[in-house]
Amino acid sequence: MVKFLKDINLKNKTALITGATKGIGRSTAIAMHQVGASIIAIGRNTKDLYSLKKKLKNRIKCIECDVSDYEKISKIIKNLKRIDVLVNNAGTNLPEPFLKVKKSSLETLLNINTKATFNIAKLCTDKMLKLRNRKKLGGSIIHTSSMFGLVAGPNRTVYSMTKFGLEGLTKGMAVDLAKSNIRVNSVCPTFVATPRAKKYLANKDFNKYALSNIPLGRIATESDVATAITYLASDAASMITGTNIIIDGGWTAK
Amino acid sequence: MFKKIDLKNKTALITGAGKGLGKACAIALAEAGAKVIIISRTLSDLKKVEKLIKKTKGSCLKFECDITDVNKFKNILKKIKRLDILVNNAGNNRPEHFTKVKKENMEYLVELNMKAAFNVAQMCSQKMVELKSRKKVGGSIINMSSQLGRVGAPIRSVYNMTKFGVEGLTRGMALELGKYNIRVNSMCPTFVETPMVKNFFKNKKFKEQVLENIPLGRVAQEDDISTAVAFLAADSSSSITGTSFMVDGGWTAK
Repeated sequence: MVKFLKDINLKNKTALITGATKGIGRSTAIAMHQVGASIIAIGRNTKDLYSLKKKLKNRIKCIECDVSDYEKISKIIKNLKRIDVLVNNAGTNLPEPFLKVKKSSLETLLNINTKATFNIAKLCTDKMLKLRNRKKLGGSIIHTSSMFGLVAGPNRTVYSMTKFGLEGLTKGMAVDLAKSNIRVNSVCPTFVATPRAKKYLANKDFNKYALSNIPLGRIATESDVATAITYLASDAASMITGTNIIIDGGWTAK
Repeated sequence: MFKKIDLKNKTALITGAGKGLGKACAIALAEAGAKVIIISRTLSDLKKVEKLIKKTKGSCLKFECDITDVNKFKNILKKIKRLDILVNNAGNNRPEHFTKVKKENMEYLVELNMKAAFNVAQMCSQKMVELKSRKKVGGSIINMSSQLGRVGAPIRSVYNMTKFGVEGLTRGMALELGKYNIRVNSMCPTFVETPMVKNFFKNKKFKEQVLENIPLGRVAQEDDISTAVAFLAADSSSSITGTSFMVDGGWTAK
């Protein structure tokens, strides 16, 4: 029978997810587990990792690590058997007006959002290429970027700088890794109902600013983002590389 | 949580459904559970597609119509009870060097790729907002664009003009229809192995040039695109609107 709808599944695939303890990372771990992936969850908070492990009935591997600890993360990745999918998700934000940005904030964001993200992408790619039949099996890397990787927002100069950078990294990696059949894409969400964004949105003015800029009139859910990431990870997206899925309710269409 | 592509209880209309991508999309949406309404100029093609859809146990209505005939299309919509999804796909291409573009070819492509696409989108949107519960159930419109709606290419100046236009239409529609919870996105494939492209590929030099420009080193298959269209049609993508969904193997990442 002719079939034109490819199944989104991750059977026989191992996915490494950073920043897996909360928000988008956690939801992505759950979504990918749902469609058959073996999950390696990386996060800083042992308690959160334990709760995720319990939720998925112990069927995932959890490793406690700060992604900016290069020695530790490189050892972890080198010791893994295989990786087919990387969800390069760990990241943070310290909103400040441009003129007030602290040196320490700038360095924190560059260390986590840019340098650690680059290093993990490189370490995992090395691991992915170890598999002899990689070209046949393919591989997929998904960066958690942001709509602020495409447009600016108030108090977000550093965040935008790091996320615009991530968009560039995505395209460069996609071009370099295509010959190994490793696809590289990003997801660019608007504000998502994560623990971090909920804190921002508790501020009435901020809430109004956010919703008035989203034509669909609502923020995104963690599942919206996790679903798009899972799709990109799977062979259903086998021709998608070097691009972004923008999950922003129309924010950047304006 | 992973949001499966599920189109049960949704009715989708697909233009240009007799061949190629339109046909693939119609079958994919039926596979995902949608009732489909297929439109084409060629009744014999529609009959073949209808047979394939019945094999998926899907329900299908077919109408022979040239979409540049506004009145005929309007009458078809009158016969339809409801509409939740539009795949605004019908379009064509007549490659010619810019200095040699014939007036009638330019006019033909503008009439079909822009004017008819606009009219179909407008009439279908009017139909979609008729449903009282639209805001709750949502709606989705997918405009068939191209990677050449984002970047230029030789002997494609008119096609580029019309597809860049579709990109603009997509964003404008997304902003205005957001309040009805109707999402509007464009699909931007690279060259796909359709009957139209197979014909272009008889020219070996052209085929080589195309493959050199796709980092993944292969053209897309019809199911790569139809799966992405089904994803955009479904609630799996409920926060995605006003964007271009690139399925181009990295063509535009360079």
